[in-house]
Amino acid sequence: MNPILRLDGICKNFGGVVAAKDITFSVYPGRVHGLIGPNGAGKSTLMNIISGIYTPDKGQIYFDEKEITKVPDYKRARMGIGRTFQTPRFLQRSNIRDNLLLGADLGNQIGYLEGYFGKKSANFDGDLAELMEIAHFSFDWEDDISALPFGQRKLLEIVRSLLAKPRVMLVDEPAAGLNSKEIEYAMDLLNMAAEKRGIGIILIEHSMDMIMDICKEIVVINFGCVIANGTPEEIASDELVIEAYLGRQEDD
Amino acid sequence: MSLSLFSSLLVNGLAMGVIYAMLAMGLILLIRAVGILNFAQGDLLMFGAYITAALVLDVELPMYLMVPASLVFFALIGLIFMFTIYWPLRKATYPAATIIATMGASIILKELATIIWGSQPRTMPSLLTTPEGKAAVIRIGNFTLQGQYVLIIVVGAVLMFGVFMLFERLYVGRMMQAACQDPYAANLLGVPTILTISATYIIVATLAGVGGFMVAPIFMVRNTLGTLQLRAFAGVVIGGFGNIKGAIIGSLLVGIVESFSTVGFSGYKDVTVFLLLIIFLLVRPQGLFGEKIADKA
Amino acid sequence: MKKKLNLGKKPPLSAIALFAAYALFVALVPRFFSGGYIIMVINLALIYSIVAYGISIMLGMGGHLLFSGIAFMGGGAFFIANLCSKRFDINMPTWAALLLLIPVFAVIAFILGLVLLKLSGTYFTFSTIALVQVCFTIYNNYKPLFGGPDGIAGVPTLKLFGYSFSSYTAWFYFLAALVLAVALLVERLRRTQLGRSLASVRDNETAAKTLGVNVYMTKVIAFTIAGVLAALAGGLYCLHSKYVSADMFTYNNATQYIIMAMLGGVNSSAGIFVGSLLVAVLPEILRSFERYFQLFWGVSIVLLMVFMPTGLAGLFQRLTRRLTHRFAGKKERGGKAA
Repeated sequence: MNPILRLDGICKNFGGVVAAKDITFSVYPGRVHGLIGPNGAGKSTLMNIISGIYTPDKGQIYFDEKEITKVPDYKRARMGIGRTFQTPRFLQRSNIRDNLLLGADLGNQIGYLEGYFGKKSANFDGDLAELMEIAHFSFDWEDDISALPFGQRKLLEIVRSLLAKPRVMLVDEPAAGLNSKEIEYAMDLLNMAAEKRGIGIILIEHSMDMIMDICKEIVVINFGCVIANGTPEEIASDELVIEAYLGRQEDD
Repeated sequence: MSLSLFSSLLVNGLAMGVIYAMLAMGLILLIRAVGILNFAQGDLLMFGAYITAALVLDVELPMYLMVPASLVFFALIGLIFMFTIYWPLRKATYPAATIIATMGASIILKELATIIWGSQPRTMPSLLTTPEGKAAVIRIGNFTLQGQYVLIIVVGAVLMFGVFMLFERLYVGRMMQAACQDPYAANLLGVPTILTISATYIIVATLAGVGGFMVAPIFMVRNTLGTLQLRAFAGVVIGGFGNIKGAIIGSLLVGIVESFSTVGFSGYKDVTVFLLLIIFLLVRPQGLFGEKIADKA
Repeated sequence: MKKKLNLGKKPPLSAIALFAAYALFVALVPRFFSGGYIIMVINLALIYSIVAYGISIMLGMGGHLLFSGIAFMGGGAFFIANLCSKRFDINMPTWAALLLLIPVFAVIAFILGLVLLKLSGTYFTFSTIALVQVCFTIYNNYKPLFGGPDGIAGVPTLKLFGYSFSSYTAWFYFLAALVLAVALLVERLRRTQLGRSLASVRDNETAAKTLGVNVYMTKVIAFTIAGVLAALAGGLYCLHSKYVSADMFTYNNATQYIIMAMLGGVNSSAGIFVGSLLVAVLPEILRSFERYFQLFWGVSIVLLMVFMPTGLAGLFQRLTRRLTHRFAGKKERGGKAA
């Protein structure tokens, strides 16, 4: 099976700080890949590079075997690279419906002119209903986004991303700030996305439970470099990983 | 073009450029301190001009009294401006609201000036006068320079240098910038935001007021003086937004270009300046000294 | 309790009420003011509102302040004046000139938009001010095309399908219908992809980009629409007043249109209509207080921005929301993850 997303030798410096060095790994459709590492290791930077907010100094990015290193951010979104943020980014002044429709707009890829004259997505309602069910949502569409509690907003962001029919999803710390029920729903959504819709997911998380549970493959980053890449079992016993998180044991 | 005409145009341009620069500096300070565009900047200048005219012509204060008196007035205007236009809107979610409030302020200032002092333009005598009472003229070698222009350049330069030093070098200036960038954190750190913002407004109003005072003998005091701010806007953009140094140099450039374009295209001098602006925007949108907006997460 | 996603297919009660109010307005105005000075002012208000609608697309929906409306208005006005008043021996029928105006100015606005929108927010605003100044100076000075300070007179009035709009009352009906059409078009825009994309550009540009919105092009399209509307208004103004001169199109007048857009509520089509009427009509009614009126006007603008940045429409919305809560009881709100 071909990887849906592939990074090859990605390097990025900010002034003197090395944010990414020689990062190479692949993301496969239908699989959840974990991206872990201590704080400041460069995970969010990597997400920004993949989604196109930053341009790498060196290296290439391939989406479905097509090089996209120079493609601008909004085009990557249209190609199918979706993204959620640690702090959900919604339009505060619009209601829930309009915010979600933004995601659906991307999924439908209907031009402005056609959209003006009324063309809508065929399966929008059904699609939305399914996602809402999994996330256990029920609220008034006309409500402002600010009416939702934080945890629900994070879940809603995942839903919005899914409405956009992505092929790759970059999910940035979905569990942060969620209670255990909400984490369960988030995992359900991500599992459904991977298994049922064949989306390749990169999941940044600090919650090891979540990572070990749903990731088939984990990439560990420290100081901008990949220090390990393998199955959860392999990672758990990898010396470098343990050192990165816990420090090296001092010989006495 | 004769050298004397050239030098005369240059001095004229620099002088106007200094006026624009003072307005521009005020604009930038407000943008950095409170994050809004002040569309009443020129009207602050206009009002300042009227006040000094009133002090000189109506109250007939001698110079050594008039200068401190007018400074007091400028400071007052700055404070009133802040409390009426900025303070109620400091938490506005619509940034356009604050901008439009400044437009309202512009109208208010114009109308107040007309109501208080009438709609006829007033003539201010030149500040440097010969014993016969005519406008002083300075002779350097073969060149004849208008005294008022030279005065503008000198006074303006000194004033702007002082403000620049205050903001960029002294701790007080850093406090003010901090208060702008993150008022909440600044408060936690003990920076008295209301004081710093008031101080900023006072400085801005003073810069504008002094500009008005300086420019009054040249233009006559009338309520359309506010349009000078448009040149300041141009200067700010050409120099690179957010950058005091750039705004000053950009404004000087605008003044000079405007001055030189009166030779030949007198009616179209506005076009030259603003076309220059547009060309700049095309070719180098970050202005002369602006930084490229860095990539952000 | 799950609710079906309402994509705005059924017109709510408020829309019906608005239509009724508008119909009343259209019926009553000619009855009371026919042929008089007031109806001419109302006509002008209607024409100005078209400019304000254009501004609302860029400002209200897109979050970008712009002054260029007046430059385009001048462009449109002089375009019509030159084509229809036998200058250069061209005597185009007015309806044809108006139709031609739309694509011509769409192209001009598009190109200008491509250039000016390379700049972000406030830079862009300043560049539109520069545009206004440049255009004004050219309009005021270049006699061959713009008649210099005297302007161009002798423009015929609008003629559609052989009917000549020779009375202000006739103009009123025409403009009332046209403005309604523009308002509906803008409302529709708000609810479609373009409207939402603009909202995302306004409120959260990074989110917009990750949602596939081409921020630059979206802004350019909005700018183009605003420019065309303004030019159209200019053309209508010229035909209505049968005269055009550069001093209409100054920076100071530009601020009036922005106030029109904001006064009623920049994101409310009904609000913009009301705002335009107020800005155009109030000075006439309060003529006697002329000197203090302007001052009062300036103060009102500041007060308005402080207390009602969402304009009259926002105020209205808040009132009605409070009333419906009172009478209908609290709605079932929020949802819990079970």
